[in-house]
Amino acid sequence: MASHSEAIIREPLITGKNITYAQITNEVLRPVENKPNLAWWIGFGLASMGATMWLFCISWTFWFGIGEWGLNKTVGWAWDITGFVWWVGIGHAGTLISAVLLLFRQNWRNSINRSAEAMTIFAVVCAATYIFGHMGRPWLAYWTLPLPNQYGSLWVDWNSALMMDVFAISTYFSVSLVFWYTGLLPDIASIRDRATGLRRRIYSILSFGWSGSVKTWQRFETVSLILAGISTPLVLSVHTIVSFDFATSLEPGWHTTIFPPYFVAGAIFSGFAMVQTLLLIVRKVLGLENYITMFHIESMNKIILLTGSIVGVAYITEFFIAWYSGVEYEQYAFINRATGPYWWAYWSMMTCNVITPQLFWSKWVRTNIPFSWVLSIIVNIGMWFERFVIIVTSLHRDFLPSSWVMFYPTWVDVGIFVGSIGLFFTMFLLFLRVLPSVAMAEVKLLVKTASEQSKKKLLDGGHVDPDHAAYYKESLEKYDSVDLTQYQKA
Amino acid sequence: MESNKKYWKGLEELNNTPEFVESNKHEFAEPIPIEDVLSGNGLAGKTPRRDFLKTLGFGIGAVSLAACQKAPVHKSIPYLIKPEEVTPGVANFYVSSYNGQAILVKTREGRPIKVEGNPGDVLGKGGVTSQTQASLLDLYNVSRLKGPMQDNGDTSWAEVDNFVRAELGAIKAAGQKIRIVTSSINSPSTQGVINDFIAQYPTAKHINYDAVSYTGIIQANQNSFGKAVLPHYHFERADVIVSFGADFLGGWISETEFTRQYVSNRSHEALEKKKMSRHIQFESRMSLTGSNADTRITLKPSEEGLAIINLYNAVSGTSLPGSKPVSNKATQTAITLAAKELVAAKGRALVVSGSNDVAIQVLVNATNSLLSSYGTTIDLDNPSYQYKGNDAEIVELVNEMKRGEVGAVFFLKANPVYDYYQSSAFADALKKVRLRVSFADYNDETASVCNIVAPNSHYLESWGDENAVEGYYTLVQPTINTVFDTRQAEQSLLIWSNNAVKDYYTYVRNTWNSKILPLGGLAGQGGWETLMQTGFVKAADKPAGTYTFSRDLNAVAQTILSQSAKIAGGNGKLELEVYEAYTVRDGKYANNPLLQELPDPISKVTWDNYVAISPKTAKELNVEEGDLVEVTANGYKLELPILFQPGQAQGAIAIALGYGRTKAGKVGDLVGKNAFPFLGLVNGTFQGAAVAEIKALGGDKIILAQTQTHNSYEGRDVIRETTLKEYIKNPAEASGKGEEEKNTYSLWDEYDRPQYDWVMAIDLNACTGCGACVVACNVENNIPVVGRDEVRRRREMHWIRIDRYYSFNEGKEVKTREKEIEQLENVDDVSVVFQPMLCQHCDHAPCETVCPVLATTHSSDGLNQMAYNRCVGTRYCANNCPYKVRRFNWFNYWNDSRFENYLQNDYTELVLNPDVTTRFRGVMEKCTMCVQRIQAGKLQAKLEKRPLRDGEIKVACQQTCPANAIIFGNQKDPNSEVSRALRSERNYYVLEELNVKPGIGYQAKVRNRTELEA
Repeated sequence: MASHSEAIIREPLITGKNITYAQITNEVLRPVENKPNLAWWIGFGLASMGATMWLFCISWTFWFGIGEWGLNKTVGWAWDITGFVWWVGIGHAGTLISAVLLLFRQNWRNSINRSAEAMTIFAVVCAATYIFGHMGRPWLAYWTLPLPNQYGSLWVDWNSALMMDVFAISTYFSVSLVFWYTGLLPDIASIRDRATGLRRRIYSILSFGWSGSVKTWQRFETVSLILAGISTPLVLSVHTIVSFDFATSLEPGWHTTIFPPYFVAGAIFSGFAMVQTLLLIVRKVLGLENYITMFHIESMNKIILLTGSIVGVAYITEFFIAWYSGVEYEQYAFINRATGPYWWAYWSMMTCNVITPQLFWSKWVRTNIPFSWVLSIIVNIGMWFERFVIIVTSLHRDFLPSSWVMFYPTWVDVGIFVGSIGLFFTMFLLFLRVLPSVAMAEVKLLVKTASEQSKKKLLDGGHVDPDHAAYYKESLEKYDSVDLTQYQKA
Repeated sequence: MESNKKYWKGLEELNNTPEFVESNKHEFAEPIPIEDVLSGNGLAGKTPRRDFLKTLGFGIGAVSLAACQKAPVHKSIPYLIKPEEVTPGVANFYVSSYNGQAILVKTREGRPIKVEGNPGDVLGKGGVTSQTQASLLDLYNVSRLKGPMQDNGDTSWAEVDNFVRAELGAIKAAGQKIRIVTSSINSPSTQGVINDFIAQYPTAKHINYDAVSYTGIIQANQNSFGKAVLPHYHFERADVIVSFGADFLGGWISETEFTRQYVSNRSHEALEKKKMSRHIQFESRMSLTGSNADTRITLKPSEEGLAIINLYNAVSGTSLPGSKPVSNKATQTAITLAAKELVAAKGRALVVSGSNDVAIQVLVNATNSLLSSYGTTIDLDNPSYQYKGNDAEIVELVNEMKRGEVGAVFFLKANPVYDYYQSSAFADALKKVRLRVSFADYNDETASVCNIVAPNSHYLESWGDENAVEGYYTLVQPTINTVFDTRQAEQSLLIWSNNAVKDYYTYVRNTWNSKILPLGGLAGQGGWETLMQTGFVKAADKPAGTYTFSRDLNAVAQTILSQSAKIAGGNGKLELEVYEAYTVRDGKYANNPLLQELPDPISKVTWDNYVAISPKTAKELNVEEGDLVEVTANGYKLELPILFQPGQAQGAIAIALGYGRTKAGKVGDLVGKNAFPFLGLVNGTFQGAAVAEIKALGGDKIILAQTQTHNSYEGRDVIRETTLKEYIKNPAEASGKGEEEKNTYSLWDEYDRPQYDWVMAIDLNACTGCGACVVACNVENNIPVVGRDEVRRRREMHWIRIDRYYSFNEGKEVKTREKEIEQLENVDDVSVVFQPMLCQHCDHAPCETVCPVLATTHSSDGLNQMAYNRCVGTRYCANNCPYKVRRFNWFNYWNDSRFENYLQNDYTELVLNPDVTTRFRGVMEKCTMCVQRIQAGKLQAKLEKRPLRDGEIKVACQQTCPANAIIFGNQKDPNSEVSRALRSERNYYVLEELNVKPGIGYQAKVRNRTELEA
């Protein structure tokens, strides 16, 4: 966009020497235009095994009934809704990155938004499978839509949070899909231009006749901004509504007004963790270190730290309110979380979500790739436990002690959840093969302004405040993709 | 007007070309190849496009029509001539009788579908037990025999008759003994048939054999007063009841009657008069009766005799030789106090003992005599005929069989090969008998070793009569033709004894005409027809005489003490007590899935028996709940899991009888373990106490299928209770009613209830926790039985459940929280409270707002409705129900081969209530307040053009409740019974603080605990 150079004190968003537009296209499209390597095949093999397991377990459930799960008369939701909320939450990072960060002109999003949005789509698909899967009669799922029918007044219940969920999730999915696809258009056109034969025809159709004219680019920019505007409230609304499933109920431990902000923070927390989990691998395997740099990793870790802390405060607030409310059922629900038979789930949640992310206060940890990756996995685990704790430990002991029971998952419960991860990765790995995992067009915008080479040029030009230059050089130390030797000479 | 205009269809016509002229001659523009087709050339020719399309259209149409499968055809044969009394869709009720109680049998289109109490029934006044409710299912049980059998092969009735008559002739000629073993027969007609049979075969003898017998009481009365009878007890006349292990609310002699009597002194009628009886229970295991007691003292089985001696001493002011105080000081004090209370209530006092020991019962008689109970609370002149068994006779039979003296033995409603204490000895001796005939309708343990099985009809297929207590005669009449090829045992006996009366119906008529109808002032055909409407005849009670005990008690005391010494544990040995299971009784109901799935009222265990042990004793023995242990007693070993039972005496264990059937049928086989061999023959009677040892076997823990796993109510307001003393001071003390009314706000629009607002009142002080309502609800509402594994997964489908909570008394404090209870030193003083829990039909129902598809909504008469067809099964409603009363169909119970044992067969489908739909997999269900009954009642009133009367509609649970604990009715009518009950000062609503406005009011529990014990 802007032709002027960015301030030297900002860290570069693209590293590497002599980066050209062609090089970016070549590097990003390498997995799309070439045969998959062994690592991809191994990953795809594992993931599709998981997806097959998912298919088997979900078919098993459909054939025999929900009774194949571990649910019972008291605990009516467990792994199903835990999985649903977990996946929806994960989806949130994509929208946040693509929409909110776009509106805030956070250019560093350009390198990661594509994968994050893809992740959103696939996570919401996984979440949607639970919406259908958890129903006793999934073949009647369309009844949750306000369709005209021969019964005249037979309508859906707008008071029900599940009803709002149907709309929240479907809106979210469609907007995310449109946003993602719109962003893909120039990149698909790039693939089209380089491809031949059938591939060319397919990508030609997929590119919607992208011509690359100035007018096209201008409309593209406008549509992106509009969609970002539409998506931004969704970042807040979707998980707010998901939290209504709990917050609007009577159940002690669910009936909490703090849920909307707490769920949104948790969703972003888990979403960034999942982005981190994926991209740390992708950048290595696909050789995208120059585009997804240490700066990106550190920025995301900072967001994880922030949202993790918000979540931690929410946990503590819940406890305080339970005590302050004076409601014995509420109080018991929270004491039971921490000390009851599912104490291990609660403390797993606390450890994974509140304690370990605090390690990100240390810059060394933030910029250490293996550490970041392990912590992102821990956050994912912790967020799964958070939903499990909220759902199962609230339900299993509520008002009447006579109904207190324990919940034990069956192999089908586990199979569907683990299988849904397989399903997710199957979709993600296929995505890597057919579409560019980094938004090439948007990254190219940064080459002239925010890349290491443009800043190097500035430095070499000598018109830079030496303090700033020193600061800049220091900031480069954390990068694993920057050759520092050239700066020492200078 | 003529138009000159000419319209032409094309240029060809305008120009009138020769081609056009030619083609215009034909009807169709293009020639149709009719000739070609007819000549067969058409097939060879090119198919024109149009023809192709026509053929294609026809072909597709024809194929799709052919493919439209017809809906499966269920052939039903309409009545050629409609029976006058059968109107499809309208139920008929027939009087009958079960276990001595007059009942009504509801039939639809000729099928019995429900058993209900007869409101005129002298014993239950309309209340019946779970067993009576469940007995209906036995009619349609697939495990029943389909026809007579000889040597375990199918045969015909004619062959059976020929064979048995020939054999009997030979046996008679040989002068061998003939024995007819039955469970207690109180039917005048059956007894008449048996007597006639004996007249025909003089070597025959009738033996009444009860697996769980009351010989001790009968003989003690013979011994004490010269009357070998089971007395008729009157709990309603007793202000102070002291029971030593007698489970009179849970199966002892006549539970429905006793429950009704007992509760009449404790429910709202009594409390309104500020009166309440006092009930002290001394027992070793936690029985249903003990759980209702005001004061409950645990005793080991070996201490019971000494306790009764001490009570006698305290009441009489004397001291029997050899008596010493009970080792536990608190128990001794309790006995002294109980004696004081009994003496103070002389003439209004009753002491009962569940022991089958003659000596103990003699001493109890002596105590009752001192308390002037005879003629007031105990009636010996209008005795009970419910149990007549004499243990000595069956023992003698075994000896006779061993000696080869018996030529023929008949078994009617008796299964000694399973339930005799030395069953293998019995089976061995039986082999020496030439003719072994069983009338069992299942090929049970005894039937399978008989050479003839002549299956008896179910009582709903039979004629007959019963005489449960003196002067009370009930009629058994068939309500359906025999489902299988069965024949009434009496009919068989009539045939085999060449009786002059050829069929049993005539025999019953004769008996009634000559003996019974006149007692009720009836006669002839008119009298019989009256009987068909009332169902029973009640003769006036004879005056109950007062009896004074005047025998020497020294020897009795000696017998008691020496017997107690024999069953005393210690030195690592435990004392074992076996008892009749509440649900399956002595095992005769083992094949009934409704009863197997009915939780034990105390332990809430289904589908199993277990070793009940006090947690403290278990700790000493180093065993944990769920451990499999080997119990050894009387030289017999059993492997059963451990269950921690609060209120179980320290050092004692208890095991239920009635389980471990091997040939009960598909449902009952190998459920639990058989504990009958633990019985011992002591002083001529079967007794259930023995010294036992247990050994942990290790291995995986066994998870019992319990419907309730948390036992304390955690100090929550859901249970409200008080003591009688506090209640008299302030009746609203427990309920908190009358406190300053709190402002409540509603988020919702309130709707008008123009006519009805259906609500319920449940009196916690009346509910004994028996669970009859659960079974009644199951039958009425087609509730599926899910089996042990599913109950273990906490998925039982019961719409009404009885929550049972323990609380522990420590000094004046009541501990209700699990954490506090774990730290208690003394866990013997446990109180129990029962709370029937069902859908509360909340006015602000939390389930209704969360359903995305509005499958659950509120009716204009205050019901929370469930539209099964609309439900998509998100289970959100169940999660949001604070009472957790909603039940989800996890599987397709009605059409899933894994549940076929219970439901899915052609026969059990016949038991379904056609007014209630069966629910498909994935659908939520819950209590409907028997909406089908409400609707039927409204329609009836409408047909008769009158307003609905209060009490006209009774819901199933209410109807069966022997304690009248449940009242259902219209809250809009301020004078309805339910409105009055809800105005009670004891009334409160569970979780009312949530402002869900529940429709079921509970009346707080009142315990008559004295100050002295606190």
